[in-house]
Amino acid sequence: MSSSLAGQAALPGARLRRQANLTRYLVGYLFILPAFIFFVVFKFGAVAYLIPLSLADWRLGSTTRAFVGVGNYRKLIVSPEFWNALSNTGIYTVAVGGLSIALGLVLALALRRAGRLQGLYQAVFFLPVAATMSAMAVVWRFIFDTNIGVLNALMRAAGMEPLSWLQDNRLAMAAVVLVGVWSNMGYTMVLFLAGLTTISRDLHEAAAIDGASAPRQFWSITWPLLSPVTLFVVVIMTLRSVQAFDSIKVLTDGGPLGATQVLSHLLYRVGFQYFDTGFASAISVVFFALLAGVTLLQMRAERLVHYQ
Amino acid sequence: MSAGVLHAFIIVMALLTLFPFLWMAGTSLKSPEEVFRPGVHLIPANVTWGNYGTALRKVPLWRFLLNGTIVAGGVLALQLLVIIPAAFAFARIEFPGRDLMFVLVLAALVVPGYVTSVPNFLLLSGLRLTNTYWALVLPFVGSAFGIFLLRQFFRQIPGEILDAALIDGCNTVRLLWNVLLPLVRPAIAAFAVFSVVTHWNDFFWPLIVIQSTHLYTPPAGIAYFADSDGGANWGAVMAASGIIITPLIIMFVAARRQFIESLAHVSLKG
Repeated sequence: MSSSLAGQAALPGARLRRQANLTRYLVGYLFILPAFIFFVVFKFGAVAYLIPLSLADWRLGSTTRAFVGVGNYRKLIVSPEFWNALSNTGIYTVAVGGLSIALGLVLALALRRAGRLQGLYQAVFFLPVAATMSAMAVVWRFIFDTNIGVLNALMRAAGMEPLSWLQDNRLAMAAVVLVGVWSNMGYTMVLFLAGLTTISRDLHEAAAIDGASAPRQFWSITWPLLSPVTLFVVVIMTLRSVQAFDSIKVLTDGGPLGATQVLSHLLYRVGFQYFDTGFASAISVVFFALLAGVTLLQMRAERLVHYQ
Repeated sequence: MSAGVLHAFIIVMALLTLFPFLWMAGTSLKSPEEVFRPGVHLIPANVTWGNYGTALRKVPLWRFLLNGTIVAGGVLALQLLVIIPAAFAFARIEFPGRDLMFVLVLAALVVPGYVTSVPNFLLLSGLRLTNTYWALVLPFVGSAFGIFLLRQFFRQIPGEILDAALIDGCNTVRLLWNVLLPLVRPAIAAFAVFSVVTHWNDFFWPLIVIQSTHLYTPPAGIAYFADSDGGANWGAVMAASGIIITPLIIMFVAARRQFIESLAHVSLKG
């Protein structure tokens, strides 16, 4: 193509202009075509294929595939495993989300006043976000080890009884939450730091001159002005925690007896270890609906938050 | 709160954050007897490098790192090939149905990976592509997030630059390659860091589509080693974990700002 688009537009005649338009349309469609081929195959096609899959009784590798209607969904509703995974996902999300948001905010506020070392500290707290989670979860598994783990060594040194962190069904959830908070608090901290820089220092100076104490300044200035950022961090952390998989798979593999089995892990187990494709597809549909619900909730909440 | 208390708090939190890394490094340098000795001692009494040799003998760690490089590099290269023209078209070319198509991009953006895992596994296995690099690459080539991000940058380029290039007689492909790509390089760098970190670290998908150990990416490889050998040989497992996390940690230390920017701020929508 040697003729320029600008040159074509300048030529007289409706026919030529139409031709120039057609060329432009063609270029536009050609440019988006490769991306759409991948979307259609691996995103839209995949989601669409889930529906018939979820309505069939089919084990991977088996030759029979019977239509069972809503059978898999009925199975889901009465499955204690599903409700257990749903409740574990809720507990994990609230605990990891809540704690990493609180700690991230405290760290961000502290780092704002850390002076020249702020950059270094920021790198330290962000390090777990940059490190490969599955490898660090292996390290944590060693730290939690009942017999030679350093955590129990510390407990013994302090005169306490050692605990079976990952094998006790009450402690296992606390252990995976701890690792989740460790790996996320640097992330929320960075988001809060970015939010804090948008709040003018003049406001704090004016408040200080008027004699407002530091807590008073926080609750009257920082917290309300930070609310859009906070909402945003809540949404991001919810989506991240609901989809957590790596650390749980490595630390407990969903155990003991399902005590840490979350939805992503149940999907993995049912779909790719039991190969119950129909049931796994039904779980996927519900998982999708749940995440879509969180996104919708976010849009609703955004309108309620105080913007300034 | 006084400055002393503030710094003490930050330092305690920093040490707690770093502890797993320090414990991993310390243990990897201990002899097997010392690993099993009771008590808390971070620094090895006698530094030995034997665990690294053991780890490299027991599992193909270099192969895992090579696989990670091939997969993350392959995903990124194909993503850029597909998303750059699409992002440009959405930002700068007018054609019928463009806005509707863009809504579809946004729809693709919110579909989480878990949800498509069963059908995508069936598709790849039907094409006999499971247990190959292709299975680890193809599902991620169409990055809606990448299109979304680059489109923003293409829109910010002043119209005069485009007009000047068109008057010079550039065709669209040359215009994109010579004039626009250098201008959106920061956005491409930000996307590249995000994409490489995401796909290097991905654990769920290789676990599903790869059966042969020699095709494992680093996260799947280290988990496999820990499961097959863990209880007996923690020193070697810690050495292997250290080797596995090193490439990204080096990248992080070398380009700290870019990393934080890409993983936290840029990926907000991703």
